[in-house]
Formats: sequence, C-alpha cells, structure tokens
Amino acid sequence: MEDAWIKFGQTVICGILLGGMYSLIAIGMTLIMGVMKIVNLAHGALVMVGMYVVYICATNYGIDPYIGMFIAMPVLFFLGCLIQKYMINRLVEVDSILPENQVLLTVGIMLVLTEGIRLFFKSDYRSVVTSYSSDTLYIGAMSISVPLVIGFIIAMAFTFLLHMFLTKSDLGKSIRATAQDRDAAIFMGVNSSKITMITFGLGAALAAAGGSLLLPLFYLFPDVGHLFTAKSFIITILGGLGSTWGAAIGGLVIGLSESLGATYISMGYKDVVGLVMFILVLLFLPGGIRSLVKR
Amino acid sequence: MLRVTNIDVAYKDVQVLWDVTFEVNQGEFVALLGANGAGKTTTLNAISGLLKVKKGSIEFLGKDITQLPGYKIAELGIIHVPEGRRLFPEMTVRENLEMGSLFPEAKAKRKDTMKKIFEQFPILEEKQYKEAGTLSGGQQQMLALGRGLMALPKLLILDEPSLGLAPVLVTQIFEQIKEINNEGVTVLQVEQNVVQTLKMCHRAYVLENGKIYTQGTGEKLLNDEHIKQAYLGI
Ligand SMILES: Nc1ncnc2c1ncn2[C@@H]1O[C@H](COP(=O)(O)OP(=O)(O)OP(=O)(O)O)[C@@H](O)[C@H]1O
Ligand SMILES: [Mg+2]
Repeated sequence: MEDAWIKFGQTVICGILLGGMYSLIAIGMTLIMGVMKIVNLAHGALVMVGMYVVYICATNYGIDPYIGMFIAMPVLFFLGCLIQKYMINRLVEVDSILPENQVLLTVGIMLVLTEGIRLFFKSDYRSVVTSYSSDTLYIGAMSISVPLVIGFIIAMAFTFLLHMFLTKSDLGKSIRATAQDRDAAIFMGVNSSKITMITFGLGAALAAAGGSLLLPLFYLFPDVGHLFTAKSFIITILGGLGSTWGAAIGGLVIGLSESLGATYISMGYKDVVGLVMFILVLLFLPGGIRSLVKR
Repeated sequence: MLRVTNIDVAYKDVQVLWDVTFEVNQGEFVALLGANGAGKTTTLNAISGLLKVKKGSIEFLGKDITQLPGYKIAELGIIHVPEGRRLFPEMTVRENLEMGSLFPEAKAKRKDTMKKIFEQFPILEEKQYKEAGTLSGGQQQMLALGRGLMALPKLLILDEPSLGLAPVLVTQIFEQIKEINNEGVTVLQVEQNVVQTLKMCHRAYVLENGKIYTQGTGEKLLNDEHIKQAYLGI
C-alpha cells in the first residue's frame, strides 16, 4: 500500500517536471503559429539542432549542457530568423500559394535539417553524460532525477521571462498584436515582417532551450526531432491554438499522462497516451484548454 | 498635406479604383462618401500602404509615399482607424492604447496622451484592464479612436466610425471627431452616414464605382440633386 503511493507520487512529480520542458518547446511552436498562422512542422528539427549544438559544446569543448544552452539559443534564434526571412517569407509573398500550403515548406525544412545533421553525425545514438546525470533527489521516499528538477526550474523561469516580455515590452506586445490582427498592427506602425522574423527566431530559441534541458534525459539522434514535433503539435492543439498559457498547461498535461502511461500501462505505450489525449481533446474540447479558461 | 493623384488600384486582376484624385489640406476635415462597394476602404488602404497602387502617386507633406511599406507611412503621421475597429481583442484596453504609441515621439508622451484620452472617454479608463474584445460596440469604437490618437497623428484616417452604432452614439462619436479636428488634427473620414457627415465636414468627395463622381463643400453637396436622390432618398 505504502509503496503504491510512493510510486504514484513519483510518477506524478516526474511527469510534471518533464512536462515543464515540453511546455517550453510547445510555447515556441505556439508563438510561431500565432503570428504566422501555420504549424511549424520543422519545430522538432529545430529542437534537435539545438541539442546537437549543446552536444558539440559538451563533447568538444567540455562546456556544461546548461551553459551550452545559452550558446544554442542565440544560434537557433539566428537560424530561425534566416529560415523565416529567406525561405518561408519567399512563399508568403507569392499570392497564389495559400497560407495552408506554407506548411509543406516547413516539412521540407525539417528534412533538410534532419538530413544535414545526419551527414555530419550519422544516425548514431549519442548522449551527454555529466557528473550529475544520474544523481537523484529524495522527497520523503520518492526519488527524483536531478536533471529533471533542474530542467523544470529553468523551463519555468524561461516561461515566466517570456510572459514578462510578451506583456511588458513594446516588442512583446507587438508580437501579440501582430498575431491578433496583422493589418491593424501595421496601421499602428508595426513592421510586421520584422516581427514575424523575430517571432520565428524566438520560437526556435525556445525549441533549443527545451532541447538542451532534455538532452541529459533523452538519447540524441537526427530523427529525434519528429518526436518533439509530434509532442508540441499535440500540446498546441490541447492548449488551444496560439494560446501560450494553454501550451504551458498542455505541456504539463502531456508530461503527466506520458509518465502515468509509462508506469501503469507500459513503457512502450507512453507516447500512445499522448495521442489518445489528443484525439479526446479534438472530440470533446476542440478549442483546447484556452476555451475552458474563456468559459 | 495629402495629395492622391490619378491612382488605379486592383485586387489581382479586378480593378476597383480608376484615376482617383483628391487632396486633403492641413487642418481640414474631409469626407469620402459613396455606396457599399464604391471603393472607399480600398482608397484608404492604398493610402496607408496596405495595398499597392497600379498607377498614380500619393504624396504626404511633400514626400512621395506611394511605394512605402505601411509601417513607415504610419511613422510619418498617417494613422488609419480601420473599418470594423480592428482592435487587438485579447489585449487589454490599456495595452491597445499603448500599441498606438510605438514611435519614440508618441512613446515619450504616452502617459500624458493616455490621460487626455481617458478624460475624453472616461469609460476607457474605467475598463482599462478589461480585454478589448469584451467591450460594447460603442466602447470599441471609442477605443479604436483613442488608439489612433495615441500616435499623435498628423492625419487621422477614419473608416466608417459610425458603423453599427445606435443613433445617439453616432452623434456622440461625430462630436468627438469634430473636437479632435478642432484641436488641429487633420481628418479624412469615410462615411455612409451622408447627411450628418456633410453637415460636419469642410469638404467631401463622392466615390461611385471606383471613380470620383463629384466634390465640394458639405453645403454644396447637401443641395446637389444627384446626391439627394442617390444617398438621401429625397
Ligand atoms: N480583398 C478583396 N479582394 C477582392 N476584391 C475586393 C477585396 N476587397 C474589396 N474588394 C472589392 O472592391 C470593391 C470596393 O470595395 P471597398 O471595400 O473598397 O468598398 P467600400 O466603398 O469600402 O464599401 P463599404 O461601404 O461596404 O465598406 C468591391 O467591389 C469589393 O467587392
Ligand atoms: Mg469600406
């Protein structure tokens, strides 16, 4: 009896901690979706590239992954800006290509990133081992992995900073305004092309941050991105399209359900739990968590 | 101040404006009238850079702005309050107003301007922390006007500010626009509320099927036989 409760508590806590990092990645996707009105199917590939940047920093230069993250974020911000400006934006300017079809370009970008990385790193499974990788923390009788705890705390700090940025700064408000009504934002003097580029860069940087935090917990290989694209897509739908708060909560929900699934159903089925949640949400709560908040 | 010269505008292959020419002088209150689909909104969107003109030119304060992107046109002082308000529905009233004052000059005076707007529209102060999407139609129109004023515009472009408002509110909004104009802001207003607008404006242009049909002072147009028939139902 006692043991069952410990197992349950541990499962719940680990799920929420993991979910916090998923949230960060999904918020990046949500921001991009809000402003560009497209699902960025290259999002997971950006997470993956960010992870490789941290990996290189760690293995070649001995930089701690949590420091490497602050290198991966600007690199991915820059990469995101370039992708938006020189690839996606080209399509936006062509009237005959519907916005819905711009999604296809992001699939192309995903393939290029994945195969480009494979060219250099092969398909080998890699991981970054640190002195604290296998440390655990005890809450009562429950043992929690240290990288999970650190990752969650940093992810929440980033989420909070992002919230402050979006609500307090003019640049952040311009991003929200552009997402809500692009033409009206232009009338107010917002350079919407610049905002779109910055938003894509920001989304990519958040993807990199999330990836860096997950690196001590996941194996790294070129196709790992697909997993993150799928997760963030599910979280984004679950949260309510374009809602940052929805994505934050959605991430926790998915992390939690994966963790419960892995413990009580089977390790192999943990991703299925997320998909089942996804279908349930589409069936019963098509507006996502955001529609609950709005009553 | 604003000079629109022989502009043609098309949506893809469908031409909507032909050879439209008009001007607005410093301090004036000019109305642009016309039936549904005449091309009024199209004209305004061409001025504020949302649509590209096929032919002709647009000049503001002696500067050619025909090819400028929209945000640069706003920076020059042309502020467009669009048809249907187009607020940022999930931002608060206060944030909407802040969005009006992004340029350095307006930003420096953000607090003062907002205070003035709250004096003019007390309801906005009361609702400043509510999301714009939760306001009533009249309140939204006031916010749209206020957001435009936050930019300290030189030329305020208003597209049907009376749309969907009860008659009392229409009169109220019109009085406020008149007051804004009296304080020195040049106004270019599109309206379907022909009589009230003609009584209030200095001059008006009438747009029919994408062409300027006639122009003149409000008084002159109020007595024009064609206008009476077509727009006043007399
Ligand atoms: N985005 C668009 N694509 C294609 N045609 C358009 C578009 N917007 C407007 N039109 C067409 O251009 C013409 C002029 O439209 P516009 O919106 O300028 O009229 P308006 O005078 O503002 O009318 P209203 O009083 O109804 O607002 C109409 O025939 C309309 O069908
Ligand atoms: Mg119109």
